[in-house]
Amino acid sequence: MRGDPIPPPARDPSLRSTRGLDWFVFFLADVQTGFGPFISVYLTTQKWTQVDIGLILSVGGLVALLGQIPGGAIIDSARSERLVAAVAVTMIGAAALAYAAWPIFPVILAAAVTQAAASCVLGPAIAAISLGLVGPGAMGLRLGRNARFAAVGNGVAAAGMGLCGYLFSSGSVFLVTLLLTIPTLLSLAYIRGEEINPDRAHGADQPQSPPRPQTKLITLLQNRALLEFALVVGLFQLANAAMLPLLGSFVTTQLSAGAPALIAASMVLPQIVVALMSPWVGRRAQAWGRRPLLMIGLGALTLRALLFAVVHDPYLLVACQVLDGIAAAVFGVLVPLVIVDITYGSGHFNFAQGAIGTATGLGASTSLLLSGYLGDHFGRGAAFLALASVAAIGLAFCMFVMPETRTRTAATRSRQ
Amino acid sequence: MRSSGYRIGVALAILCLSGALDGIAAAEAPAKAGVPSVTVIGHGNARGILGTAVKDAEGHNMGRIVDVIVNRDGRVRAAIVDFGGFLGVGSRKIAVAWNALEFGDAVKPGGDLKLALTRDQLKAAPEYKEGKPVVVIGLSGALGPLDMSGTNGN
Repeated sequence: MRGDPIPPPARDPSLRSTRGLDWFVFFLADVQTGFGPFISVYLTTQKWTQVDIGLILSVGGLVALLGQIPGGAIIDSARSERLVAAVAVTMIGAAALAYAAWPIFPVILAAAVTQAAASCVLGPAIAAISLGLVGPGAMGLRLGRNARFAAVGNGVAAAGMGLCGYLFSSGSVFLVTLLLTIPTLLSLAYIRGEEINPDRAHGADQPQSPPRPQTKLITLLQNRALLEFALVVGLFQLANAAMLPLLGSFVTTQLSAGAPALIAASMVLPQIVVALMSPWVGRRAQAWGRRPLLMIGLGALTLRALLFAVVHDPYLLVACQVLDGIAAAVFGVLVPLVIVDITYGSGHFNFAQGAIGTATGLGASTSLLLSGYLGDHFGRGAAFLALASVAAIGLAFCMFVMPETRTRTAATRSRQ
Repeated sequence: MRSSGYRIGVALAILCLSGALDGIAAAEAPAKAGVPSVTVIGHGNARGILGTAVKDAEGHNMGRIVDVIVNRDGRVRAAIVDFGGFLGVGSRKIAVAWNALEFGDAVKPGGDLKLALTRDQLKAAPEYKEGKPVVVIGLSGALGPLDMSGTNGN
């Protein structure tokens, strides 16, 4: 039933909700960090064979890939995004407990699947809650803030959990994760539910009663701008995902004593850049439009790949990770923002996030396979040059084909 | 470990019982071909090594043992160590010669395996890949004809 359009928020969300969302993003990043690289270290200490560890990681990755679209669809059909997010965080807590307490194969398999499924829901949920709170006009700034808090959360968690793993045991990381779900849920409760408009959170601009999406799914999948953006994001991930592992192996062959510290620095430096730059990116996205920033991000990626191919000094290479931070800041803020631009009014914002998330996952896994193959057969330089050319193709595509999406939001909004 | 000691104890008890019953059944029981020999190794005298951390002579962490390479004769030739990197980024699996590992301290609970190689010596080693020839890094000057005399793995 088409009625009056949903008005933009009459006033900015309360400080309490804003802070609640900030800290929710921060603690959620903390909770998710524990499930990355610590798993294979921990399972090795539990005397798992490499085959079994690889199987767990593959199953987790597959579920995380296939669950993106269903996860988005779940958020689109939810009336209370906070409730769905709370359930997902609890599932992650249960998975962390299973990892720490009972590391046998069936239990860890179930825990890995649970954690991957929960992460598929939580990704869109954050953007949905943000959109529901602030509306499309202020979304750029809000996403910039989200990216800052997430980067700080990742960095603090990686440092803290690394320390726990060093001082205590590898399994203690999962207990810390379990403890961190408590502040996550608390900050989620801090967000005022009545300030989140559920229809706006789904990207609809008309009230939906009864709840019914306003455009068909198939129409969305045929949306040319969405497909083009999916290609841009896929190419970015194809070029980007394998660079840090390749850099890591190269640094280990060049240095013996300082290698772990240098690799840690190469992981932390981009996060610092993201934490510093993301709000600026959010503001520029409102002022300059989205395309210039996407081109900056892809340009930084191409430059970084070229530098990695030719530079040999490990310290200089780690300094080049600043470019990684620039690209990550740009894409971290712009991916949800462009999706809002393209899908606002359709009621399928979160489904579209799932579709882009699938493109991201496919790009990342193909990147690792491709670079592994090239690195083994043709050497490091060839692998980085290949990644640089993929990034350059993405840049060219963005320059010549990808449309500017900022105007769409301006046209569909009634005010602001 | 306690649980394997317990299992061995139970196995021993069952064997003793079945041996006793056999004794009752026949005065001269012929040696049964199917009964395995059982050896009990005390807790502080042996341990599993998969997943154990390996340190070099100065105590720096070198990684963890993730696999053991055995040749056709059943002789252990190398251990695969997951070497280097930080939180899994940049780590590689490297095959180190079995005689480069020192086990003296290892059997103590919480003891570490020592590797007589340094990180400098290992840093450029090629990665171990299944299905490809294994490149085993050994001690300096330890190349020689393979000792087939059947004592320690060499």
